[in-house]
Amino acid sequence: MIGSGLNSQTFFKTDLTTWEIGPYHSSLPGPMRLKLKLDGEIVVKCEVETGFLHRGLEKASELHGWPSLVVYADHLDPEVAVFGELVTCLAVEEISGITAPPRAQVIRLLLAELARISGHLAFMVRMAKAVGSETVTHYVLRDREKILDLFELVTGARFSLNFLRFGGVRSDVTDGFIERVLEVCELIRVRMKEYNDIFTFNYSFLQRSSGVAPISKDCVRFCGMSGPNARAAGVAFDVRKDAPYLGYSNLDFIAPLGRGEGGVLGDVHDRFLIRLREINESMEILKQVVERIPDGPFLHAPVGNDYKVPAGEAYVRIESSRGLLGCHVVSDGKLKPGRVQYRVPSLANLMAVPLITPGVRVEDLPVVLASLDLGIAEADR
Amino acid sequence: MMTASNSWMVSWWEGFGLSSDVPQWVFALLALLFTYCFVVVPAGAALSFLDRKFSADLQARVGPNQAGPAGLFQPIADLLKLLQKGSLTKRPQKASENIWLSVHSMALYSTLAVMPLGSAALLVDTEMSAFLPFWSALVLALGTMLLGLGQNSVPGWFGGIRIAAQTLAGSFPALIALICVGVHAGSFRWSALAGAQGFSPWSWALFSNPFLTIAFLVFIMSGMIVMASAPFDGGLALTDIHGGVASHLYGRRLGYYRFGRFYVFFLWSVITVVLFLGGWALPGRLVSLLREGEAVRVLSFLELSWLMAKTFLLMLFMIWVARVNPRSRVDQITDFAWKVLSPFSLFALVGTSLWVGWGIGWGAPW
Repeated sequence: MIGSGLNSQTFFKTDLTTWEIGPYHSSLPGPMRLKLKLDGEIVVKCEVETGFLHRGLEKASELHGWPSLVVYADHLDPEVAVFGELVTCLAVEEISGITAPPRAQVIRLLLAELARISGHLAFMVRMAKAVGSETVTHYVLRDREKILDLFELVTGARFSLNFLRFGGVRSDVTDGFIERVLEVCELIRVRMKEYNDIFTFNYSFLQRSSGVAPISKDCVRFCGMSGPNARAAGVAFDVRKDAPYLGYSNLDFIAPLGRGEGGVLGDVHDRFLIRLREINESMEILKQVVERIPDGPFLHAPVGNDYKVPAGEAYVRIESSRGLLGCHVVSDGKLKPGRVQYRVPSLANLMAVPLITPGVRVEDLPVVLASLDLGIAEADR
Repeated sequence: MMTASNSWMVSWWEGFGLSSDVPQWVFALLALLFTYCFVVVPAGAALSFLDRKFSADLQARVGPNQAGPAGLFQPIADLLKLLQKGSLTKRPQKASENIWLSVHSMALYSTLAVMPLGSAALLVDTEMSAFLPFWSALVLALGTMLLGLGQNSVPGWFGGIRIAAQTLAGSFPALIALICVGVHAGSFRWSALAGAQGFSPWSWALFSNPFLTIAFLVFIMSGMIVMASAPFDGGLALTDIHGGVASHLYGRRLGYYRFGRFYVFFLWSVITVVLFLGGWALPGRLVSLLREGEAVRVLSFLELSWLMAKTFLLMLFMIWVARVNPRSRVDQITDFAWKVLSPFSLFALVGTSLWVGWGIGWGAPW
């Protein structure tokens, strides 16, 4: 009988199920494999296998001349290509001992912040898709197009820009770009309110995201996480603040921290909100920067196929939309890079998946994965 | 019982040259075929088009615009595509699926007989009538569950179990809400349920007492749960279990499956309109005019059109809700059904019973 020493826990005990998801599955942010142990619908154990998108990017970078390095860096994380280019160019410039002219720096900063907004909007799209809110995905994608239009206006390309050069940028900004940036900022400011009404504070979405899969500060430290995920957990670290580059120190902005509005600090809802706040901060930065684009050259010196970097090495870090992106470049003074190595934020974020998923329901798994903003392309590189 | 065959159907079939000596069951069969071919299927085509266009407008998209003027022939194009993709018999090892499909469809569409479509178009009008559509919803849920479990895959299992759990949870409040209307109307006959309401919205069951308004909301929401329509479609979720139950279906099978889902959605909306939103009731003067003129066919047609117009509006409303809201988790859905909808439905039942028992009308207490 149920009364005799059997509680409901043991009475309804079920065997664990094994379910492997991937490499291709609608709930995954990219090609990866999850090995799940499930108790009913609740995840007991989750192992992550990556590497399905390994392209040998770092090795390939060594096989071609220096100018090709930027093109490869574009594909480090195709969704926010600017950051890969930026960190690579900064590293090479540090070895060479050159600095980009002020005008080029501001153009780079503009592009980086636009890319951050674009990356965070894409994050919103994936979150909306994960909770099955199709309407929001269409709205946000529509507005993200405006940012891609800006990229097209400046660089001629929407995704793989190939625009940054060692010591500057490929070409100057075109007329009317500043007005367009301000227009887009205003548009997104208005649209963010709409998104909040329809999605962020939608009861169903709050129910789906509040208190789900929180990340603790210990977890952040253990995995070496950075970026919005770490800040959502309350770890105040932002490369733009703590090790400024491109003149971020002259700008007035804050790096928002998670506030535990969903009940638990660092849960899915915090991770979602923090990106919305970062979009606002990025727009503030853009507004400040477009007012003061200095005149002058936009490129230190033309970069040709015979471009050589003096022997030496440098490690540079920047804040990408996903977190701390580092690049280590070694030059042996030849026509090709000696070694190029990236420290990508998504790999650390991926490490957190096995730690935070136990106890999560299968239905929430896509939401948790989307909330980590994993870039499989950069993790596998 | 076969009230239809001695009123409007007879005049139709006589018009087609069938004599009145033809047995009752032939009339009934023809009536079912007629309903299926000329009401349900066109409604499916129309709704799929409206759904796509309406959703596209909501989502800042264009929607279908290639097949025919304004994409009007898109449903036909869809149907033709599904028909030419794969046949039911090409995979002999899946013969059990075919048996499942035919049994499932027969059980599902048997409820055509109880679909109320007008004052004269009532094939089965008994004290049980209002409960029979539940059969359809439950058959759909059971069939969907078995389809999921039969796939022998984890998404299928999850999908099937989720569908079963939420249908179980949703049926209870829906049934109680239905009983509220029956208590109000004094009967569960379609004729009585519809007859208790009139053309004016103030005479609809929805507004005739506050407890029925609650019952209506419960009925709509629990209906969406029972039918597993978005945003309560955890069992068919595209993200975590890539379609769940439907993940292995394609071509004609997918067509049958989708149309089965549409049918229950349609049926549920029709009975919601009949129960709460005035059914097919036209202005009294128009009805008496048509009856005096013995224009039963015109009356039936007008009633059907009016009923369909309301039904489509209701369906579009539900689609709107589905498009705007994120999907709820299945444990949240069952929680909602058991802990929120069920108490409200019971409250509505008690309230309606007292209201009816004490003979309160809107004008009575003062």
